[in-house]
Amino acid sequence: MYKTSLKFSIMVTTLALAAVLAAVWLVDIDREHDSQATLLPDRVMTLFPDPKPLMAFALTDDRNRVFDLASLKGKWSFLFFGFTHCPDVCPTTLAVLARARDNIAKSTVGAESIIQFVFISVDPNRDTASKLRQYVDYFDTTFVGVTGDNAQIGALAGQLGAAYQVAITPGVENYPVYHSTAVFLVDPRARYHAVFTPPHDAGAISKRFKVVRELEAGNAT
Amino acid sequence: MRWRDPVIVCLISALSAVPAASAEAGVSVRDAWVRETPPGMNAMAGYMELRNNTSRPQVLVAASSSGFQSVMIHRTIVKDGMAGMVHASQIELAPKASLIFAPGGYHLMLMSPKRTLRAGDRVVINLEFRGGLVLPVAFGVRK
Repeated sequence: MYKTSLKFSIMVTTLALAAVLAAVWLVDIDREHDSQATLLPDRVMTLFPDPKPLMAFALTDDRNRVFDLASLKGKWSFLFFGFTHCPDVCPTTLAVLARARDNIAKSTVGAESIIQFVFISVDPNRDTASKLRQYVDYFDTTFVGVTGDNAQIGALAGQLGAAYQVAITPGVENYPVYHSTAVFLVDPRARYHAVFTPPHDAGAISKRFKVVRELEAGNAT
Repeated sequence: MRWRDPVIVCLISALSAVPAASAEAGVSVRDAWVRETPPGMNAMAGYMELRNNTSRPQVLVAASSSGFQSVMIHRTIVKDGMAGMVHASQIELAPKASLIFAPGGYHLMLMSPKRTLRAGDRVVINLEFRGGLVLPVAFGVRK
């Protein structure tokens, strides 16, 4: 009796799991041409089924121009929060993103008008516009550095669930800064579309992005 | 305070270790490199693979270099979705074990290089072990 019910529950669980996996894996992207793309659930990316439209925020970019909600519209934006005095996580992530951008640009015509990479400094105290410009330029000249005051940064970070904490200590030059390690993907309608989780890999990011774009193109038709 | 917990764990494990690194290099280092930084940045990170060839634990207690104002052993930890760095005052290498200093984990925090280091340069960093072993290691600067 016990054996039977255990078997039954394993079977039900297996079927339920299979159904969930099948639903996630197999997504029609282009019914007209009867082709299918597979989106494997993995640790690289979480794609939101119902992307959340972002609300107004106002930051300043590395050329002292306004960077706000409108700046996110019309392009896919990869957002990463960090600070320039960060020796390990930030340069590692930005180097990966630069390679991911290269990959995407190689297979995309007019990549410049389709994607943008934005480094948001949570340490405006040290990261001036000119420092940010110099910093992001080193990784990729198309990257944009952005910052603002704490409330301005919080207005965007809060909408993405990007945690950060700046422990400014008077008299201490190298105060600690804690920040989210995720890379956030905002779609051309300024909706929070997907999130990439570390450890980041350039090949994995560019491949997932290709699928995301195909899926989105399929949804639009 | 919660950021310090791993340091305390490190300390406890290090304190319980059998002391003294052997005089002949019982510890070997592979793939030692420093990440080149964007211009104007004063904090660099060094990575390597440490191997304890002896049958006793070895404890890395400090690192120093004439090429930098200061060198510290750091570890990046991720907690509550945030990355932060904690200072590791010492690290124990188990007998015959390897320990990898890699992006997103253990690294040597290299503050204020005395001269600008570019890809292709080399800089020597001394690894100091409990018992007096000092291992000078040439780190290659990479992009």
